[in-house]
Amino acid sequence: MPLGSLACMLMALPLLGSLVRGGTWWVPAFVMMVAVAGVSALYRLSGWNAFPVPFLQAFAAAFLVTPLFAGHIAPLGLLPTDRVLAHLVMVFEQGANTVNGNAPPVSSSAGVMLIIALAFTVLTFAADFLAVTARCPGMVGCLLLALVSVPLLVDGSGLGWLPAAACAIGFLMLLAMDMWVRGHEWGTRVAGGHGSRERVLGAVRSGVAVSLASAVAVLLALTVPLALPSLRTDALHTMADGTYVGTGGDLITTTHPLVSLRRELAFSDRTVLTYRTDTDQPDYLRTYVLDEFDGVNWTMTPVNASADSRVAGELPLPTGWGSAPSEDVVTTRISLDSETPRMDFLPLPYWARAVRATGEWYVDPRSHVVFTTDSAPTGLNFTVETVDRVPTAEELADTGNPRSLPGDYRNLPRGLDPRVQELTDSLTEGAQTPYERAVALQEYFTGGAFTYDLDPPAVPDGTDPLVHFLLGDRVGYCEQFAGAMTVMARQAGVPARVAVGYTAGERMGDGRWAVSSGDAHAWPELYFEGAGWVRFEPTPAAADGQGSASVPDYSRGSEEDGADAPGTVPEEPEAPADEASERSEEGGAPGEEPSRAPEESEEPEDEPTSSVAAPGDGSRTGTGLAWLPVAGAAAVGLLLLALPALVRALVRWSRTAALSAGAAGASQAHTAWRELRDTCLDLGGTWTLTESPRAAAGRLARSGAAPETAEPEPGGLMSGAPPGPVSPETAEALWRLALAEESARYAPSPDSPEGLREDLRTALAGLAAVVGPGARVRAVLLPRSLAPWRRPRPAPVPGTVTP
Amino acid sequence: MSLGTHHGDRGGGVREDVGEVVAVADRVRGAIETVIEGKPEVLRLALTVLLAEGHLLIEDVPGVGKTMLAKALGRAVDCSVQRVQFTPDLLPSDITGVSVYHQDRREFEFNPGPVFANIVLGDEINRASPKTQAALLECMAERQVSVDGRTRALERPFMVVATQNPADMEGTYALPEAQRDRFMARVSVGYPAPQSELDMIDSHSSRSPLEDLVPVTSAAQVRDLADRVRSVHVAPGMRRYVVDLVNATRTSPELRLGASPRATLHLVQAARAYAALDGRHYVVPDDVQALAVPVLAHRLLPGPEAQMENLSPEQIVAKLVARLPVPGPQ
Repeated sequence: MPLGSLACMLMALPLLGSLVRGGTWWVPAFVMMVAVAGVSALYRLSGWNAFPVPFLQAFAAAFLVTPLFAGHIAPLGLLPTDRVLAHLVMVFEQGANTVNGNAPPVSSSAGVMLIIALAFTVLTFAADFLAVTARCPGMVGCLLLALVSVPLLVDGSGLGWLPAAACAIGFLMLLAMDMWVRGHEWGTRVAGGHGSRERVLGAVRSGVAVSLASAVAVLLALTVPLALPSLRTDALHTMADGTYVGTGGDLITTTHPLVSLRRELAFSDRTVLTYRTDTDQPDYLRTYVLDEFDGVNWTMTPVNASADSRVAGELPLPTGWGSAPSEDVVTTRISLDSETPRMDFLPLPYWARAVRATGEWYVDPRSHVVFTTDSAPTGLNFTVETVDRVPTAEELADTGNPRSLPGDYRNLPRGLDPRVQELTDSLTEGAQTPYERAVALQEYFTGGAFTYDLDPPAVPDGTDPLVHFLLGDRVGYCEQFAGAMTVMARQAGVPARVAVGYTAGERMGDGRWAVSSGDAHAWPELYFEGAGWVRFEPTPAAADGQGSASVPDYSRGSEEDGADAPGTVPEEPEAPADEASERSEEGGAPGEEPSRAPEESEEPEDEPTSSVAAPGDGSRTGTGLAWLPVAGAAAVGLLLLALPALVRALVRWSRTAALSAGAAGASQAHTAWRELRDTCLDLGGTWTLTESPRAAAGRLARSGAAPETAEPEPGGLMSGAPPGPVSPETAEALWRLALAEESARYAPSPDSPEGLREDLRTALAGLAAVVGPGARVRAVLLPRSLAPWRRPRPAPVPGTVTP
Repeated sequence: MSLGTHHGDRGGGVREDVGEVVAVADRVRGAIETVIEGKPEVLRLALTVLLAEGHLLIEDVPGVGKTMLAKALGRAVDCSVQRVQFTPDLLPSDITGVSVYHQDRREFEFNPGPVFANIVLGDEINRASPKTQAALLECMAERQVSVDGRTRALERPFMVVATQNPADMEGTYALPEAQRDRFMARVSVGYPAPQSELDMIDSHSSRSPLEDLVPVTSAAQVRDLADRVRSVHVAPGMRRYVVDLVNATRTSPELRLGASPRATLHLVQAARAYAALDGRHYVVPDDVQALAVPVLAHRLLPGPEAQMENLSPEQIVAKLVARLPVPGPQ
């Protein structure tokens, strides 16, 4: 068995194949797993108590780590000293950084190898314990599940069928070996036939049956989830939303938009896409929209891929636009570079009226991001029609309070540092309209006080990164600028969100525009009633900032700034400001917060998303789609609750079907009897193997399914159904079932009884009728007959020949 | 009083051969019940032993109708019945018969003893000395008598119905183990129910009902029925069940002496007869369970612990039966 669990885990090793480059990353893991499993196997040969096995395994693993990863500095190559330990920790940290900082596949550095080896050693430990010591090899499936989810979460392209099949086969082998070992504990198997030919045939037949069953199980596991559409789409896009997932803190990250943003900024010269467009001033290309701030990160509300949201021709009108504008339609043909990693979200100018691209694409009506649930092709060419509608400063200045906005884009978590609110208030003091406040905020960032740096200095421990950026060193890049301005805009009562994507790029000689990864960008989008979502640009542009960023004209402020505004909208601007200040008061008593907040904002410096983070409890005041996960969880919970009942109903149904199918008399009687037994167990009754069928029927008729209190008088054949709490019809039905079972078991040629099905129905109903309602409900929801340990099992009687 | 066989329920499950067993048995039972009332289980066991061609030991306190039961059984079957009153001075030759010298013909002539009969009533068997009791050993087990170097076979059916007082009564010897083992079953009659006792006063006041008892079956018919009983099916699982049960008595720490292989055979045979009396042509666990105590208990010797705890062999057998799983589906 230890070797079986080893084989199973080894078969799971290729799962990581797509995540690591290089050919030898698996060697240390392999060596350590073999050693750990070998120790277990050798020790178990002795037949002693298995208690010391994990300790021996830990010892073996610790003994091997040194020569494998720190052999060059250890004395004799294998003695662990302080230095060796420090070296190992350092290697591990390097590995963790490699994994965090790079998109898969990562190179197989020593650190990565160490992490893989340690993880697999621990898994082999656990598998050995589960499969051998605890004797429940089925639980190893959980370990494999955890392992499978790693490549699924990290690598958007999913899992190759070969590693998946290898993993499944390994698991099946483990299960088979367990059954084989269990079978042998019973003693030598009695061969079905006498000749060797029959024996071989029997083996082949059972082999085919087992393979078929396994194949069906694997197929079901693969296809059943696909039949549940809601699970599929939500799950995928919660992943794409990509907060940190992984074991042990930060082993693996998925592609969070802001993480990939910084990664791309680092490769500034790689061309991501090129496009041709009708306009001279192309707009930014939006990929993602981050609209939720949980106090730490800006994240994306999960998007839904439903049939309604499929992209077919026209896209829905953006929020806040009254009617489809007829003015200039700009056609842009975008070609993604074939070297670019797959994009599940298309980079599109705002607002795209129509998108023509091959494949299945969906649009989220709120954020107008276009995405796919399939793996998107690389090197995609697509055409997009946008409406070139640039608002003027005057239009924006005339807008009132946001009214037509679905969902609340002004929510902020409680517990933000009050100094941020103070700063916002002081900046927007003189501003009357939302637009003026937005302009004031943008001017604050672009006014020269901030320094653009792709590699900002680390935030000191215990300092809120947002406060540090706004009030401290004021150094950051687009992510910090966009995040901070969005937070402040929301504080100022202007609905805001962070868009992630690319700037318009650079014009090439041949009329095309080229967007490189250095043009990756994040910017705030602010909402104005009547104008919809409007881009602002707080990040410094030109040479000292984001090179290709451009500040929109409308955001520079209008000429009649402050002159006309009070007259045009005298009252309305007050409301959002009041609301905002009220909210900030609700958000936390300003006096207490500063002392508390820094303690809670302990973020590792190398965590990419921490730069836009703000401290806080993370308690959201509510999101538009909050009911969806709740409803989903409730549905899943209900399903889980109902699972035993469903399984039991399935069993009962199949038995009833077998009764009607007209099989041989004996097997019918057995089927009916088994169903009776299970129902008796479900109803909380007892069932002993020492009871003959007629004795059992007599007891059930006497006292129902409840455990019997009075002993029946010993000896003597029961004759006929005795009276009891059950109805006479039930007692007679029970009696007929018992006689049928008895005849099926012991008669040389069993009778073919009639009406077993009706008798069974009568008996079951009669038994259920005499127990309390509580027991009946429990019998339906938690049928005890499904629990193997509830099944009757023989008490050992010395000297018996019956196995 | 009906014994409540449920063969009527079976809806055609009864075969003709066992059907006749049931019919004859009902007649015999009806006849005996005119004498012994309110003891259906005892009667049923007695009939079982008769059809299984075993010997029956009736053990109980004096005066509960042991001898009456034995005599009624003998009367109900039209066959030769001999009665032996076991007294302390009884000699083995008083049972088997003796060769006497015939003066006229100058040769020994064998005078057959009371054992040469279809049904032998051994009354108060444990009042004779073990030496005399031993004379029964051969005839009971092998159905033959060897006297003066000649072996004479006994006629079928041959059934010894012995009565005895419990061993701790005064003036009794305990039956040797070897002899106890030759009895297929031991029953105790027990006191009658009050109503039965009332009826008994009425029926016994004028004259003994035994004298009115007319035979309802013949020796030949009993022979025929016994042959049919031998053909009752015992499923492989049931055979294992019996062996397991007997084995359990041998390995039980509470027993000093377990049951013999002869006990196994007796148990199977008795179960067949019991099933046939129930109108079945196959044995079910209930047959074995019902017979385990009568067939096995009298052969067992409790161990010291069981004696200390006052556990009788009957209780121990009942415990073993309750622990042994019945054979399930094949």
